[in-house]
Amino acid sequence: MAISDDELLDVIAQEALIDRAKLLRDATLEDIGLDSVDLVSVVFVIEEKYHVEIAEDAFAKTGNLGQFLDTLKAQIEKTKA
Amino acid sequence: MAIGPRRVVVTGMGAVCPLGPDVAQTWAAARDGHGAIAPHLFDPGANGPAPHTTPAALVKGDIVGLAETTLGRRIGASLDPFALYALLTCHQALTQAGLLGAEVLKRRAAVVLGHGFAGIQTLELSYERFYGQKSARVHPLTVPRVMVSAPVSAVAMEFGIRGPVFAVSSACSSSGHAIAQAAALITSGQVDVAMAGGSEAIATPACLRAWEGLQAMSPTTCRPFSQGRDGMVIGEGGGTLVLEDLEHARARGAPIIAELTGIGLSSDAFHLTQPSLEGAVSAMTAACAQGGLLDGRTVLISAHGTGTPLNDANEAAAIHAVFKSNAKTQPVIATKSAHGHLIGAATVIQGVIGLMALQNAVAPPILNWLGQDPQCDLNLVLGPATKIEARSLLLNAFAFGGLNTALAFTLPE
Repeated sequence: MAISDDELLDVIAQEALIDRAKLLRDATLEDIGLDSVDLVSVVFVIEEKYHVEIAEDAFAKTGNLGQFLDTLKAQIEKTKA
Repeated sequence: MAIGPRRVVVTGMGAVCPLGPDVAQTWAAARDGHGAIAPHLFDPGANGPAPHTTPAALVKGDIVGLAETTLGRRIGASLDPFALYALLTCHQALTQAGLLGAEVLKRRAAVVLGHGFAGIQTLELSYERFYGQKSARVHPLTVPRVMVSAPVSAVAMEFGIRGPVFAVSSACSSSGHAIAQAAALITSGQVDVAMAGGSEAIATPACLRAWEGLQAMSPTTCRPFSQGRDGMVIGEGGGTLVLEDLEHARARGAPIIAELTGIGLSSDAFHLTQPSLEGAVSAMTAACAQGGLLDGRTVLISAHGTGTPLNDANEAAAIHAVFKSNAKTQPVIATKSAHGHLIGAATVIQGVIGLMALQNAVAPPILNWLGQDPQCDLNLVLGPATKIEARSLLLNAFAFGGLNTALAFTLPE
């Protein structure tokens, strides 16, 4: 079963102790208030949970949260395949 | 008398502890005898032994949320609670001192905080992951959350402190040593302002078991100087004093809470867990002599008062040795009976409460007292909101390993 945005956003909200309501697809890193230290945590937890490897600058490269989620989902699907 | 070539005064105070999230609520609860020690269930999780219930005094509420509201920014998960307590109490103390955003913080200010432990909650979670879940990958923020200097670094970054910033550790005397060291930075002319105090967050399933292993923990509650006392109870939280050069404080018209007039530091060089009379007397005598507290005046004594059979009897004997014929008239308070033993933060929290007591001419009661112990024949403050006439405070701390601090404070004229 494909992983939903909601599932990934729940992980990000929980790990970074961030208000879930702020996690909108078109939000940027800056909008959300995630810094590089938060990102290290978030990437670590997602890697552990889904058994994937994610470059730590993947979020910065993708620009907004929606693109980051799409990148994550693609990598998770690729790992599963 | 002064402690050095420059006089050092307190111009701000901060507290987050089981009695409340700020100085006002902490003081009100202590004054009115509303203790925070209660049985709590500590659950080590699926890979640990069975959950157990033990008395502790915990900070209530969402500490991350409080920090984010107070500082007006996201904090996230990068800090262990012991660093959050430091951030919050430094903010409170700087606010009271009127120094938030002040230029002096960038040029001539220090931060010295004491901790008996470090980020124990984070450490336990990482061990559970490593040994319990057998995961080779430990959370990437473990080191910056655990390190004993994490709180002072967080404070320096938050408030832009570019002078001397470091942590000190001496178990239950840690924040006493932090205050002494911060004062030395001021008297030596290195800085004009210093944030000094400490924090601790060790109420975790494994750490509490470690304390229980020492046979020093009470299975019931903390009863300082009482007959039937059976040990200490762990508390958590933090406290900060803003120390300032007297002339600097006067020049900017800052309200002065009290002057730090005496510092006594000593080591027992004797035993890991047993106190010595000589070490306690040495520290107390030095602080009292320097602070002019032995001239017959009334001195409010904030006792180390852990509630262990050994400490309290030793401390009572030390008070008699130092104050001699005046020993039985000096009011003695022991607020660990209300907020538990905050270890590295104990001295500063008791200092905040003691200074509030001087300012208000009211002493907070020793709680849970069951009756007189002949070994503790002192003028114990037992009733809530007891009126006192003291203008000076003696603040004692006698740590495991025999590390002692005694600090003397006096209200301004």
